[in-house]
Amino acid sequence: MADGGRSYIGHDDRFGGGHFTKKRKGRGPFRAKMYSEGGPKYLNRGTYPPNPRSRLGDDDGDIAMSDAHEPVRSRFNPYSRGGRKRDDRQGRDRGNFHGNTSREPPHHARNELRENKSWFKVTIPHGRKYDKGWLMGLIQSTCTLPFTPVGYHCDHSRAHFYVEDATVAKAIKQISRTFTDRENFKVTILTAPCTAPEIPNDMSQEEIVHLKSCMQKRYDGAQQALNMKSVRIAPDLIENKVDLILNRGTYMQAMLQIIEENVPELLSLDLSNNKLYRLDYMSEIHLKAPNLKILNLSDNLLRSVKDLDKIKNLKLEMLWLNGNPLCKNFKDQTVYISAMRDRFPKLLRLDGHELPPPITFDVETPTTLPPCKGSYLATDDIKALVLRFLQQYYACYDSEDRQGLLNVYHDEACCSLSISGPSAQNPSRSSLGEYFNGSRNIKRLRDPALRFKLLKHKRLNVVSFLNELPRTQHDLNSFVVDITAQSNTLLCFVVNGVFKVEGQSSDPVRAFTRVFIAVPSTDGGLLLVNDEQFIRNATTEEIRKAFATPAPTPSSSPVPVLAPAPQDMVQAFSLFSGMNAEWSQKCLQDNGWDFEQAAQIFMKLKAEGKIPEVAFIE
Amino acid sequence: MAVTQDFRTDADLACRAAEEFVSLYYETIDKRRRQLTKLYMDTATLVWNGNPISGQNALIEFFEMLPSSEFSVNMIDCQPVHEMATQGQKTVLVVTNGSVKFDGNKHHYFNQIFLLTLHTTPSNSVWKIASDCFRFQDWANS
Repeated sequence: MADGGRSYIGHDDRFGGGHFTKKRKGRGPFRAKMYSEGGPKYLNRGTYPPNPRSRLGDDDGDIAMSDAHEPVRSRFNPYSRGGRKRDDRQGRDRGNFHGNTSREPPHHARNELRENKSWFKVTIPHGRKYDKGWLMGLIQSTCTLPFTPVGYHCDHSRAHFYVEDATVAKAIKQISRTFTDRENFKVTILTAPCTAPEIPNDMSQEEIVHLKSCMQKRYDGAQQALNMKSVRIAPDLIENKVDLILNRGTYMQAMLQIIEENVPELLSLDLSNNKLYRLDYMSEIHLKAPNLKILNLSDNLLRSVKDLDKIKNLKLEMLWLNGNPLCKNFKDQTVYISAMRDRFPKLLRLDGHELPPPITFDVETPTTLPPCKGSYLATDDIKALVLRFLQQYYACYDSEDRQGLLNVYHDEACCSLSISGPSAQNPSRSSLGEYFNGSRNIKRLRDPALRFKLLKHKRLNVVSFLNELPRTQHDLNSFVVDITAQSNTLLCFVVNGVFKVEGQSSDPVRAFTRVFIAVPSTDGGLLLVNDEQFIRNATTEEIRKAFATPAPTPSSSPVPVLAPAPQDMVQAFSLFSGMNAEWSQKCLQDNGWDFEQAAQIFMKLKAEGKIPEVAFIE
Repeated sequence: MAVTQDFRTDADLACRAAEEFVSLYYETIDKRRRQLTKLYMDTATLVWNGNPISGQNALIEFFEMLPSSEFSVNMIDCQPVHEMATQGQKTVLVVTNGSVKFDGNKHHYFNQIFLLTLHTTPSNSVWKIASDCFRFQDWANS
């Protein structure tokens, strides 16, 4: 009689197909289907034998919550735990897809979209005796609002699940006693506000791996297109027991995360036929896939055009929405088109139909940054001069005593140091305390006397200030140098790199950006007139790369010798040895500029395989 | 003694110029991008993450292509540049650090170094950028 055995393929997010296209108001459509409301009521309730078809084993046991109803709606953030876990996992999993290891962990704090919603516990007295698929299918298809039931479970004779929205809870309550079970009992549904259920809200590592491999198979590199059509019933996911419910934040965000880390250049995404009824968790998609221009959302369950506001930061050119309930809200095609154009002004095609060209005012804003490059060293001569200077400067700077630097500063030189502010990255890592007292940040430092005091002026003051700073070891291989100004009287260059602070228990790695302004010295070298260095904590990536290649041995003389290198000899040696100018020069230098001797030493070391590859990289 | 006094004057002048310049520069690049190149000398050079850009026309073109930005400056330091290097022209070294969000891109921390020179005409004096060096801290991953 009653359709207790009616088959519903899913349990939570799945809906009985066409029911959602029905009119919202009234319960007319359901009334027609209802069975007699007469018949015995509340008889034998307590001793009612279990329905043979009920799935007693369905008590998932994944709810650790107490049964007590919490009358106060609490604010909460149900996914905060998941967010943290996801970060960890990204650290471990990164790179399996395309070997990309260099992206920064994303900011998750902003992703929590649900924080102000309230949870409701839905209780079906005597619900245990029903088949879960039948019961949930019926409630979902009868309720006027779509929802994701969370944590279905039974205790005693009751069945429970959770929903996270007061309007949904109200809509569910409204269908209480509007349908009957196979015994002709009306099914009662109770709702009560509650605290956030403890739902297993994170994907396991294994699930992520399966999802990633599924996405990899569905990615077309030539088209930069990812086809996630009907992904929930993808055989490889089902086989691995991954139930990819894209209406859930965890899954959607995991998918977007994989996109961001592996195919951020994504151009086209097909999400059709995934029973999507909300796009809340896609609101950061424009950050994960900034180039996405083609999006297929057809054959989903989107009911309101407002859902599309969540993704309107995408610069979409093609969009498919056909087969969603919201299309029926538009009687007039032109209203439909203009509603979409409001959200996606650059739209050229909608549901496969070409649109009239968009009206633009040519205020198009670019979003592509120029590619970042390494050192800018102007000319070879300047490059040689500066690199040699830095090698000698830091040989002395990293030595026991920095007095030798007296020779490279002008009498009237000035020098200052600054550190990144408290708001800087990696606050957890050890502070820059050892540099704090000398730090001159005029944004925070208002006192003119203190500002002046921290600007070290005159050679002796400069060198004694530098001498007081902690001992260091700079990684010369990390240096990136930009020549920013050059004239007959001035050379301004900026050095970025990392160094170790020595003498502390853990030898912390710091990063620096230092600008030098030099004038030519009488002997043809460089004499510093200005020196400003900025010091910050190194990032994880910088720490990982620091000191990876052996640094050239420091010059034997702690006092920099600033005579210009004979460039012709360096070039000749470079030609002979195949090493780059820097290493050629170093080899010559170490051998007192004796070409013959340098050549012999080079041949010997090369035969022994002692010359690092970096020496041959231009 | 007189020299030190002059240095003190120069150092104070550098601070005033740097503070005013920094707030003007980043407000202009964020909100009035088209005006930005007016802050640069005709012969100015910008080295942007290793890309050299020289002269007004190249700068105009560069800043037109650069996505819109939201800068936030955390640190400013400055020094008067020695006259020997600048052939007597008043010059200030300005160093900044902060974070920036370019439209359609993720947040980056950056360091920026300017050389400002003072240009005096009979009617007024203005500071202009003679050189500018900009680099993301994580440029290698960008």
